[in-house]
Amino acid sequence: MDLFFQQLLNGLTLGSLYALIAVGYTVVYGIVQIINFAHGEVFMIGAFGAMATWTVLFQGNTSLWVLPLMIVGAVASSVVVAVLMERIAYRPLRHAPRLAPLITAIGISVFLQEAIRLFYPGAKSALPFPRIDVVTGTALTLGPLTVRRSAIFTIGSLIVCAALLWFFINRTKLGRGMLAVSQDKDTARLMGINVDRIIAVAFGLGAALAGVAGVAQGLQNNNIDFFMGFLAGLKAFTAAVLGGIGNVMGAVLGGLVLGVVEAMAVQFIPGTFGGSPWKDVWAFALLIIVLVFRPQGLLGARVVDRA
Amino acid sequence: MTTSSSPAPRTKTAVGNPRPSPQWWLTLAGAVLLVASAFLSWCYVPALLGDLSIDAYPGGLQMLMVIVGVIAIFFLVLRSGRMPSMDTLLDSARALKALSATAAGFMVLVALVIALQAPGLANANPGLFVGIVGAALMVAGSWQMASDPLVDPITVRLPSWVEILVIVVMMTIVLFGAAFALGQEDGTVFCLFLVFLGGVVTALARGGLFSWISVIAARHRQVLMMGALAVAFLFPFTQNGSDANMSIATQVLIFATTALGLNIVVGLAGLLDLGYIAFLGAGAYVSAMMSHSAFAHIGWKPPFIVVVVIGAIVSSILGLIIGSPTLRVSGDYLAIVTLAFGEIFRLTVNNLDGNNGPRLTNGPNGIPGIPDLEIGSFNFGDTHTILGIPLGRFANYYFLMLVVAAFIIMVFTRLNSSRIGRGWVAIREDEKAAEAMGVNTFGLKLFAFAGGAFLAGMAGTIKAHQDVSVTPDQYIFLESAFLLAAIVLGGMGSVAGVLVGATVLKLLPEKLRFVADYRLLIFGLLLVVMMRFRPEGLVPSQRRALEFHADDEDLADRIEEVHLEIAAEPDPAEAKA
Amino acid sequence: MSTQTLQPTAPAPRTFGAPVLEASGVVMRFGGLTAVNDVNLTVREGEIMGLIGPNGAGKTTFFNCLTGMYKPTEGEVKFLGTVLPPKPRSVVKAGMARTFQNIRLFGNMTALENVMVGRYCRTNAMALTSIIRGPKYRREEAESRRIAQEWLDFVGLGHTSEHLARNLPYGDQRRLEIARALATDPRLILLDEPTAGMNPKETEQAKDLIFRIRDKGLAVVVIEHDMRFIFSLCDRVHCLVRGETLIEGSPQEVQSDHRVIEAYIGQPDEDEEEMVAEAHAQDEAAPSTPAATDGRMKEDRA
Ligand SMILES: Nc1ncnc2c1ncn2[C@@H]1O[C@H](COP(=O)(O)OP(=O)(O)OP(=O)(O)O)[C@@H](O)[C@H]1O
Ligand SMILES: [Mg+2]
Repeated sequence: MDLFFQQLLNGLTLGSLYALIAVGYTVVYGIVQIINFAHGEVFMIGAFGAMATWTVLFQGNTSLWVLPLMIVGAVASSVVVAVLMERIAYRPLRHAPRLAPLITAIGISVFLQEAIRLFYPGAKSALPFPRIDVVTGTALTLGPLTVRRSAIFTIGSLIVCAALLWFFINRTKLGRGMLAVSQDKDTARLMGINVDRIIAVAFGLGAALAGVAGVAQGLQNNNIDFFMGFLAGLKAFTAAVLGGIGNVMGAVLGGLVLGVVEAMAVQFIPGTFGGSPWKDVWAFALLIIVLVFRPQGLLGARVVDRA
Repeated sequence: MTTSSSPAPRTKTAVGNPRPSPQWWLTLAGAVLLVASAFLSWCYVPALLGDLSIDAYPGGLQMLMVIVGVIAIFFLVLRSGRMPSMDTLLDSARALKALSATAAGFMVLVALVIALQAPGLANANPGLFVGIVGAALMVAGSWQMASDPLVDPITVRLPSWVEILVIVVMMTIVLFGAAFALGQEDGTVFCLFLVFLGGVVTALARGGLFSWISVIAARHRQVLMMGALAVAFLFPFTQNGSDANMSIATQVLIFATTALGLNIVVGLAGLLDLGYIAFLGAGAYVSAMMSHSAFAHIGWKPPFIVVVVIGAIVSSILGLIIGSPTLRVSGDYLAIVTLAFGEIFRLTVNNLDGNNGPRLTNGPNGIPGIPDLEIGSFNFGDTHTILGIPLGRFANYYFLMLVVAAFIIMVFTRLNSSRIGRGWVAIREDEKAAEAMGVNTFGLKLFAFAGGAFLAGMAGTIKAHQDVSVTPDQYIFLESAFLLAAIVLGGMGSVAGVLVGATVLKLLPEKLRFVADYRLLIFGLLLVVMMRFRPEGLVPSQRRALEFHADDEDLADRIEEVHLEIAAEPDPAEAKA
Repeated sequence: MSTQTLQPTAPAPRTFGAPVLEASGVVMRFGGLTAVNDVNLTVREGEIMGLIGPNGAGKTTFFNCLTGMYKPTEGEVKFLGTVLPPKPRSVVKAGMARTFQNIRLFGNMTALENVMVGRYCRTNAMALTSIIRGPKYRREEAESRRIAQEWLDFVGLGHTSEHLARNLPYGDQRRLEIARALATDPRLILLDEPTAGMNPKETEQAKDLIFRIRDKGLAVVVIEHDMRFIFSLCDRVHCLVRGETLIEGSPQEVQSDHRVIEAYIGQPDEDEEEMVAEAHAQDEAAPSTPAATDGRMKEDRA
């Protein structure tokens, strides 16, 4: 039973990470109905942005006050990349066949990975992520449970971000503009909403959360690499679908569910097909099952094609 | 030469140049100087740029300038109004401008290379400066030339034999061009060759030659196909037994073949498959596991032809499985599902090492030491001599792949223009409407997956032997993306396009070693740029071009015109039937 | 305008064959919205049935239920005596074909190819046959081409066979859709607003076309907002309002029923000429599809 709770905790930690990234997929999809396949790379850029901030400004400094600045660095770099990407690559394709943005996304993905690999010093192999007081270091024990400090940071980030996000969408003018655009782009435009700006905001919003996730991932894993966005992006996408793509709070829920399922699968699937070598296989299998059998997700509604 | 439907009255000769103008003479002088320069030495250092140091004996790069000069002179002759029927077809002014720019750019680059690597321009010989002056004169002369109105090539009909001759000449040029390009070991020379190629192609395209050739090609599809096949077949004979280039050529061919299979799924059925490499992998693994490798864990060693069939069938069963979600999923979701399947394949072969699941694939180490194929008494590892030309190991595989490629091309084109092909187009255009008109949409999509997988599986069984070893990291997502890129770059739904795309994507990184590290970076950028500016690809199928330009009425009218023109001609094949 | 013009020009009472289509108790709900509520419809051989009703009455939805595009929430659709599975493909195969209110042609295919897609369900060349291309395949292919061309000629588009569907004028696109549906060899054809966006001359031609289709022995169901058109064309008219059957009867009966007038205008004491005139004018002023304003087809990215 202890094992179960331990895995539940691990799952929630993992899930928080997925959830932070998944929001980006879902916000963008809700507004422009494209799957920003390169979003995983935005997350990766966030991690490298945090690291660059630390290396350039605070090399060797491990005090806690550095962390917020690293987060700012991460968010800034993610947001810049995401907004540029929208402006340069996606916007011109808004009326193209659906294949076009998807292929573009693959292109951006490969481009960003390679750009980091080639031009970030030392990024050809994994780089150690800075250790920060309080949020890294020896794990805490809570009764039978071992709680890693970074896990607290990750879950905490999700809670804070989700609250801010909720506030932003429901309580600010910009957020309500986003809701309007996601309902009906053309009407929103007629009502005087600047749709282009809203779309950019959606990309930026998702990127900001992905940036935070990048920092969390760095603290969790102790190192980061240029390829980390691929798998994380796919899993987060699964989470977004699981929660019902387009549904922001669904993405959070989907992330948590996926994280817990994955943690449990690693622990409790017996035999040679269990354990960590197969965990990604099960995650992908879950992705397929969700896409095929419940594409509307846990919270979404199915859209019927009208004849 | 005859022109059937008479072109617009020839006002242009009057407008253009009644008498050769000073510009004309200037350009001519430039072109002659350029050609002459090639017969002089350009540089003292023989080790540079494939030896340009000998007088009266042009090196490879110098020959390129001879070609540019001669083409320029050809257009100048046209311009003088001596071949009126040709003249109406081609826009000599635009072609000359592009040629001049190419010559100038090329000469400047050569001068730069000499300055940097010789090192110093002191090592340059007069020939180089003659060439530069020639190029400059060409630029000066052609810059202000007035363009002349063009006649639409579809209204001009030459005798059949002339048109076929044009195709044959074109194919010969392609053959020797390819042989020359592959023969260049030096990255700088290869780059300069690309500059030349790009420039000449642009010049001819701007001159209107390609729109004319594409009309001819549409009229003589069969001839074109046979020609292309002949060129591909003859290629190994130009290599004199050198394995280096044949290895690249074989790689390109395997890649192109697989991409053609994928093009059935993406280009014809309009389904995005991001896990296609898994099918190639399935074929390769089946072949490897049934080979005589010491690491193959399947005891049964049937003849290779049986292995091919088994590999293809296993692969198409995977195709059916991967395709089955198309019943419920479409668009982006389908793409992600296929991606996930592809990853599951890779992870699975990576895991089946005996510790995690049954021992089949040796895990990350893969199956090394796969022996060469042996069909009957013909061993693919041996060098065979035909007509005095030795054909090595890679040439053997090359020929085998060529047969497979020809087979796949046949399957592709025949399916495309059949009932099934129409069904696919209908699905791409409007799936609901297709279903409502009685098209078996699910069946056709499933068939596209299974059929494409079958072909990839076939190719995979050969690839395993050619590669000697099979490992999971040959079958990563990036490879699927590469295949997709070949299609996107070349043109969805078009055979020629995929061949071009695959060649560019595989050949360039092999030849341009110094960009090898930036290969993926450029590749990513390429996908983005292509989707933005030419989503239908370099050599698109017309229908795909229309689909990507839903708002372009001119394009639709233009394509319809060509279509009507070609439909109006009696097709020799059908006339017989 | 006199009542004279509203008299049906169709031949006097005709006798019809056996029922082709029998829909009984069809209900279609979308969440809380009941788009079609307990509708019964019987169509007989050689009969032209009109389906009318104000915008949003559920006419198109009812068509979708008949053709298997939607699975009705309740009720049963019998075609030639058997219940059809709710799969568009089986429905077509059984002999029921349709056109769409918002034209759904395959824009980048030629007119002939569009119609040949209609032949899809009546031919059976499979992959291997298509690749090997034996004599049987070639015969079948030539045959579909010939039949497709015949249908094009039938609807008066014979000369456009090699033109891209998207380049055709709007009226021709509607006729091409009809040819494509006819190419599936149907026993019953369902036309969803076949004259929307047409000028009076084209409308007249469309009427003639529908009569000729009927004379080929097909049963026809037509949705239309143009009352003059409906009443002069149909043998029977079925009126839907808010998903429910208001009345079904001969054109005369329906035309003189005050509830129909109410449903359309909402003002019971207006006299009927005016109601028809207004309904008609409204229809012409606001063509029911956005595409109608523009001669070319626009892709609907719904
Ligand atoms: N797929 C769907 N999901 C939800 N509601 C739908 C759907 N299809 C139709 N409806 C609703 O059902 C009702 C009937 O629509 P329908 O298109 O059948 O009307 P109609 O009689 O064809 O109208 P028109 O004359 O404008 O074509 C409308 O209120 C419409 O909004
Ligand atoms: Mg309707």
